[in-house]
Amino acid sequence: MTDGLQILAQTVISSNLILVQGLGLYALTRYTKSVREAAGAGVKTLAGMLIGSILLWLLSPIVPSSPAPQVGFYLLVGLVASLAASKLVMCETSGTDQAVDGALVGLLLLLGRGNTVGFQNVWTAFGAGLGFLLVLVVVATVRRRLDLAPIPKPLRGLPILLITVGLLGMALLGFRF
Amino acid sequence: MKQFGDGLFAKNPVLVLALGLVPAVAVTTTAMNGLALGILAAVVMLVAAAVNWALIPYVPENAKLAVRVLVLIVLVTFAYGVLVQRNPGLAAGLGIFLPLLVFDELLLRAGDGEKSLPAALLGACGQGLGFALVLVLLGVVREFLGMGTVFGKQIVSGALAPFSLAGTVPGGMVILGLLLAFVNLVSKRGGELHD
Repeated sequence: MTDGLQILAQTVISSNLILVQGLGLYALTRYTKSVREAAGAGVKTLAGMLIGSILLWLLSPIVPSSPAPQVGFYLLVGLVASLAASKLVMCETSGTDQAVDGALVGLLLLLGRGNTVGFQNVWTAFGAGLGFLLVLVVVATVRRRLDLAPIPKPLRGLPILLITVGLLGMALLGFRF
Repeated sequence: MKQFGDGLFAKNPVLVLALGLVPAVAVTTTAMNGLALGILAAVVMLVAAAVNWALIPYVPENAKLAVRVLVLIVLVTFAYGVLVQRNPGLAAGLGIFLPLLVFDELLLRAGDGEKSLPAALLGACGQGLGFALVLVLLGVVREFLGMGTVFGKQIVSGALAPFSLAGTVPGGMVILGLLLAFVNLVSKRGGELHD
């Protein structure tokens, strides 16, 4: 039980996918214009991560052992999982409706190089997805405040967003040591 | 030629289109990593643009994305295999971010919207080079601030210790944000997202 909690704390906080690992910046910049949209995109990714990790768990006997085919295998599983998740969770996202999800595949690749096997991976994926969802919602609310703040013109939009997210991430780095 | 110049400056993938941010933030802890990933991405993009140009018009609308991803999976897996064999150290340094190129919107759009093959190839070439340039620039800045070295050569030692956060992912985000702000200042644009 404590193991489970520890994994959850690790994946949500100290190795948060967006803030500490730098994955999923596409979703972070595109889908955080409103809280609703951010929550929708986050839930979609969470679902994809669960599907992907369960697929990996089921397919673990046939994962190739040499490095290049193994990477190809994880990428294929990622493609299947993200397509399945986008069919499963309907949510309106503005801009191009990107069905494939970099953060989801990144997580699968990370799971692939970790030493954990079996069901523990599904739990890790749940934590990672939860952390992802949380960050998207937090950033969406932060952006609403940023819209009101007097920001110098060159910094408006993406630059201030990246700097803010970077500062948030630095705060989380404090939990690593 | 216009497509080439556009990809390099006016429509630079990272600085203007805000694509490929994940590798720009996560990989560029050293100049060498940035250079390696930039070149690999440019080469993969060039080949993907050619394949997509030949293949995509014959694919039904709802399967286009899956086909684009599959093309990239084949190319990137091949590139990864070659890199692991030739230079395992570099492959380990790039980690999951070389395979992750497959799901980057930048590479998925390779050769998009161009009618002729030369235009598609020039566009991909320009975008690939523009991407590589930004990665190298970020790599040089972050390696210098983080470790006081550039391409592995020691420039200063010790004095920059407080900036070692530049070597972490959040530090990379801040530096990329400042770089984007600088580009906006020079090009006199507002910093809104250009989708």
